[in-house]
Amino acid sequence: MRVLKILMVFLLSVTLCFTFGVSSSMAADSVKVGIVLPLTGAQAKFGEVEKLSFDLALEEINAAGGINGKKLELLIEDDTGRPEVGRSVVEKLITKDKVVMLGGGYSSSVTYAVAGVCQQQAMPFLVNTGSADKITTSGWDWIYRLNPPASHYADAVESLLVATIKPKTVAILYENSLFGTSGAKAFEKTCNKLGIKVLLKEGYEHGGIDYKPVLTQIKRLNPDIIYMVSYIMDASLLMKQAREMKLTPKMFIGGAAGFTLPEFVENAGKASDKVISATLWHQVLPFPGAMDYYKKFLAKYNRDTEYHGAEAYAACYVIADVLKRAKSFSNTDVKKALSETDMMTVFGQVKFGTWGKMLNQNKADTYVVQWIDGKLEMVWPEKASTKKFEYPVDWLKVWGY
Amino acid sequence: MDVLIQTLVAGVLIGGIYCLIGIGMSLIMGVMGIINLAHGQLMMVAMYITFVLSSYMHVDPYFSLIVAMPALFLLGCFLQKYLLNPLMKIDSILPENQVLMTVGIGMVLAEICRFIFTSDYKTVKTSYGGEAFFIGNISFNLPMCIAFIFAVVITLILFWFLAKTDTGRSIRATAQDKEAATLMGVNSTRITIITFGLGSALVASAGSLLIPIFYLFPDIGGPFTLKAFVICILGGLGSTVGAIFGGLTLGIAESLGATYIGMGYKEMVGFVIFIIALVFLPGGLVGIKRLIKS
Amino acid sequence: MKKNLTLIILGIVCLVFPLVVRSDYYQHLAIIVLIWVIVGSSWNLLAGYTGQVSFGHAIFFGVGAYTAGIIATKLGISAWWGMMLGGIAAMLIGLFVGWVCFRLRGPYFALGTLAGGEVFRLIATNWESLTDGMVGILIIQSFRSKLPYYYIVLLLAFACVFAIHLIMKSKWGYYFVSIRENQEAAESLGINTLLYKNLSLMVSSFFTGMAGAFYMNYMAFIDPEVVFSLHYISIMAILVGIVGGVGTIMGPAVGAFIMVGVQETFRSSFFGLAPAWISQGHAMAFGLLVVFVIMFLANGVVGDWSKIKRYVFRIKPSSVS
Repeated sequence: MRVLKILMVFLLSVTLCFTFGVSSSMAADSVKVGIVLPLTGAQAKFGEVEKLSFDLALEEINAAGGINGKKLELLIEDDTGRPEVGRSVVEKLITKDKVVMLGGGYSSSVTYAVAGVCQQQAMPFLVNTGSADKITTSGWDWIYRLNPPASHYADAVESLLVATIKPKTVAILYENSLFGTSGAKAFEKTCNKLGIKVLLKEGYEHGGIDYKPVLTQIKRLNPDIIYMVSYIMDASLLMKQAREMKLTPKMFIGGAAGFTLPEFVENAGKASDKVISATLWHQVLPFPGAMDYYKKFLAKYNRDTEYHGAEAYAACYVIADVLKRAKSFSNTDVKKALSETDMMTVFGQVKFGTWGKMLNQNKADTYVVQWIDGKLEMVWPEKASTKKFEYPVDWLKVWGY
Repeated sequence: MDVLIQTLVAGVLIGGIYCLIGIGMSLIMGVMGIINLAHGQLMMVAMYITFVLSSYMHVDPYFSLIVAMPALFLLGCFLQKYLLNPLMKIDSILPENQVLMTVGIGMVLAEICRFIFTSDYKTVKTSYGGEAFFIGNISFNLPMCIAFIFAVVITLILFWFLAKTDTGRSIRATAQDKEAATLMGVNSTRITIITFGLGSALVASAGSLLIPIFYLFPDIGGPFTLKAFVICILGGLGSTVGAIFGGLTLGIAESLGATYIGMGYKEMVGFVIFIIALVFLPGGLVGIKRLIKS
Repeated sequence: MKKNLTLIILGIVCLVFPLVVRSDYYQHLAIIVLIWVIVGSSWNLLAGYTGQVSFGHAIFFGVGAYTAGIIATKLGISAWWGMMLGGIAAMLIGLFVGWVCFRLRGPYFALGTLAGGEVFRLIATNWESLTDGMVGILIIQSFRSKLPYYYIVLLLAFACVFAIHLIMKSKWGYYFVSIRENQEAAESLGINTLLYKNLSLMVSSFFTGMAGAFYMNYMAFIDPEVVFSLHYISIMAILVGIVGGVGTIMGPAVGAFIMVGVQETFRSSFFGLAPAWISQGHAMAFGLLVVFVIMFLANGVVGDWSKIKRYVFRIKPSSVS
């Protein structure tokens, strides 16, 4: 049939197109690293902060001589927030672009799927944001993680609770993604340990319009604290609707992510005030370059940055350091250099080790921030804080009633 | 008790917006028999128009109804005239081509908006955005109440239009029996164009009313299209009154499901109702009325 | 004969493809194309030939994928057994779907299956004890190289297309088409339309389920939004069938090639030849392609091939092709 003949010609010409349409950079004196981030889709805002931070760090690294004279090149690819796209993208980076290592990894589900590929292909992967515990507890030795796992996100919150609020009951709300589910599970464990009764633990599908039904239930149960693990838009809606319902626990606590982004205060407005959240970084921390990074970012991009950006920025420096120390760019040498990492970054000290069931995990501290008058202030631990933790809070007054 | 009342209130209020979405689709389905899978995307376009008006010209979302509705009316007419009507003449194996065409249209609309506005979440901030008033212990979200009132007003205007004007009556006639209507002198081509425009304008109003409460992104359309189906089937195709029942029923059912079964199952409530309605209530809730009568 | 020769050449090209094109990336694309050949052809059997336009083929794909995934993670059995079990599970679910939906006609059947797909997605998301919800199922791939996967899916695709070809040539084929053309007339002629609709659905869901199970084995990661996706599985299956040509044997195969090709060409910015912003346009290209095909090539590339010949190649229809 003519159809099939034409089809074959098409196939042939496309194949030729394939072989000639090679990726742009074939420069022999650059070192390529693949970075996988969500540049479009629901998590694009986070991906953007990280990409801009990577760009900023890259500029500085290359200006200072790159990798022993060679230019460092970051191939930043969009995983669109979906795990299967992440996998395809990573396969492309590994087999077609021949990167020497991988970085990035924002969403836990995407990071987990991508890490599986890297482990199988023996490609070193430095995760800087994906937080689900599974990523480093699966026995995958090619995966290294800069940020703390979800189970430790609330460590600082824990000490804050014990020292000040001393709640007896809690309601936990979380997005039913890998990130939300891990965060919620981890906090539940913490509560059980501290003897705080979990009155309600409910997962929701992201993108909901109306949270009033579950907030009504929570209001009836009247817990001392409400812990929420959400990405950006849900976080804003939850707080806005809590305010509408006059739901007044002793404290609202966010499990990082959506609660620390500038978009949270932009969208939730008054409802965001005095809300606290776990966080992994703040610009006032005594890490060399932390405040500089914050100021440089603000000056260059005219927007705030926060812990996701710091993770990316620090990760870029770690990558550069690793590649400088690596004896060659083979995967085993890069892996060896990664294992031997011991450096200070804007995110803190980075050193990978084995903790409990976790492999190649960096031990990083967590902190608590509070939105005070539209600014994200660090309030715990006290010795590093910028402002005193405001508690107790007269929510109705704060909300303008 | 409070929990139940709050749940019902939330359900009814959101049901008002659902009604507007459902009536539009019901009209289109009733008159042309087209399953419009681009319904949610039409709403999205209206929401972006509202967003632009609000951000750049500081027009209150409720006033932008005046712009969004006619704009979508024209868009709907255009789509029907140039993309959907021609399909009725094409001879193809599967009659479902119209449905698939709407899928394509929906995709193109979403992508155009994504190209212009990116995938970022956009919000429209109003001074009364998060306001609520209280009757007793029950919280009433102000924008949603306003939206509900608008929905009622628009629906009433629609009913008047369908009952009292020539065009409206022609639309109802075509919905009942297209051939008979044509024999009676109704220009069915023109009517289909107007109906699609009208359906689009209605869903546009839902979008403008929704944006102060929710947020906006290019992929917002899909779930709402599905909700529109549930409402239509539940209410009985082509029946505007049915769509009202359908919208309120869905709103309340979702709310009850969220409170008493669990938030994760909220979406499922709609679909289960949908399937039950499809299978056991072919005429929708309005069909039950007819059954009882006969 | 000419027809057999071109088929044989196509067969040889498929067989040697991964040996000639050694890049993992293109082998991956070929595997994806073959998966869609299976799903598209299966959909076509039910929709194109039997006239029951399903908007919920994701149900069968997802059930197949999860069967393979669950037996691998919860029972420790290799996910490859899931191929057979996945197909069977999908078939059983298919019978249930048929029981609910076959009383519906035309567009209502479409809507019913669409809702069904969403219900299954929500069940998979919320029934965490069985499926791990949104966390998904992750297994380790059995083979590092793509070659075994390629040949397995190629075999499956060949079996599927060949089976459909045989079915359509048999009496079943006539019954299916008669149901599509006019179900009442078929009934009045004594054809048990319900039986044959179900048979068509069983074959369709079986192969789709196997494709889903293969997907689990190959991608090694699934979650409810991936395998029960309305947009990326159900509608993609429809597009593959429509663009290729409903009611033809090779149509879906051609459709699979075109759709995956278009998608990847755009996503990778024409393989690096075009500016980066083009990669955002792949969904737009899809949409425009759909609109174009439905307007002008309602019977797909294969079905309306004569029309294409006339307009593109300026060949007048003078002889039997």
